[in-house]
Amino acid sequence: MKRFMMKYLMLNCKEATLLMAKKEEGKLSLGGRLQLSMHTSMCSFCRKFEKQTRQIAKESPHVHAEDSLSAAAQEKFLRLIDEHSTN
Amino acid sequence: MEEKVTKANPQNWVSLYATQLYQYALPRVDDSAIAEDLVQETFLSALKGLDGYKGEASEKNWLFTILKNKIIDFYRKKTREESIMNIPDLQSMESDWFDKDGNWAENKMPKDWQAADNPTERKEIQKLINWCKEHLKELQQHVFTLKYMEDMESDEICKVLNISTSNYWVLIHRARLKMRDCVEHYWLKN
Repeated sequence: MKRFMMKYLMLNCKEATLLMAKKEEGKLSLGGRLQLSMHTSMCSFCRKFEKQTRQIAKESPHVHAEDSLSAAAQEKFLRLIDEHSTN
Repeated sequence: MEEKVTKANPQNWVSLYATQLYQYALPRVDDSAIAEDLVQETFLSALKGLDGYKGEASEKNWLFTILKNKIIDFYRKKTREESIMNIPDLQSMESDWFDKDGNWAENKMPKDWQAADNPTERKEIQKLINWCKEHLKELQQHVFTLKYMEDMESDEICKVLNISTSNYWVLIHRARLKMRDCVEHYWLKN
């Protein structure tokens, strides 16, 4: 019985990392959140995963290219704007 | 009764915003010609909507809002055209990342890295994110882009990409595993 309870209550790392994605969106039930925090309190790998993934999420909206827009494209846009604003 | 409004000034758009818009669009669509097209469409839509622009948002934010909608439209069309498509098989992940009991596979266990706090480090992480994202498989990449770079919610993403919720969670789970692993790999090399 005890073993059954443990198996039922304890997540493995694969399940825990999936639930983290759901938690991030507020789509995890109270039971799920308890199971998850029980797992992360004991698993340093999953703690690292959660922290590092959060950092990636935080930086992702700021990703931008450094390539500049070609002069040809800029000229084309200028012409287009000119054409379309003088009718 | 007269209200003072900021007027949009299309003649300045190219010099002020074209490059910024392009640099935003490019990593989100991963194709320079498409990114250029989206910027062009953004300007054209803005010109059409000029009468509706009341100066409530700054001109720049207004143009970015239009561009972001263009990016979402791009994904909507793309996945319609790609005649659905390589939904990943849902089983294959186990063996790559976790052992048979669902615990971390030995070579995939997250390592320690120091947090990126200062502007230089953050920029470096952002570059790695961009690089690693390009190496995700197609649908994982779409999901990652919309979720993390465009800050959309899963329900909306499922609609845009025309995928089921359960497929979404598999895709985002896998994208998160791969992205973290890839960023770690190159971050620790530096």
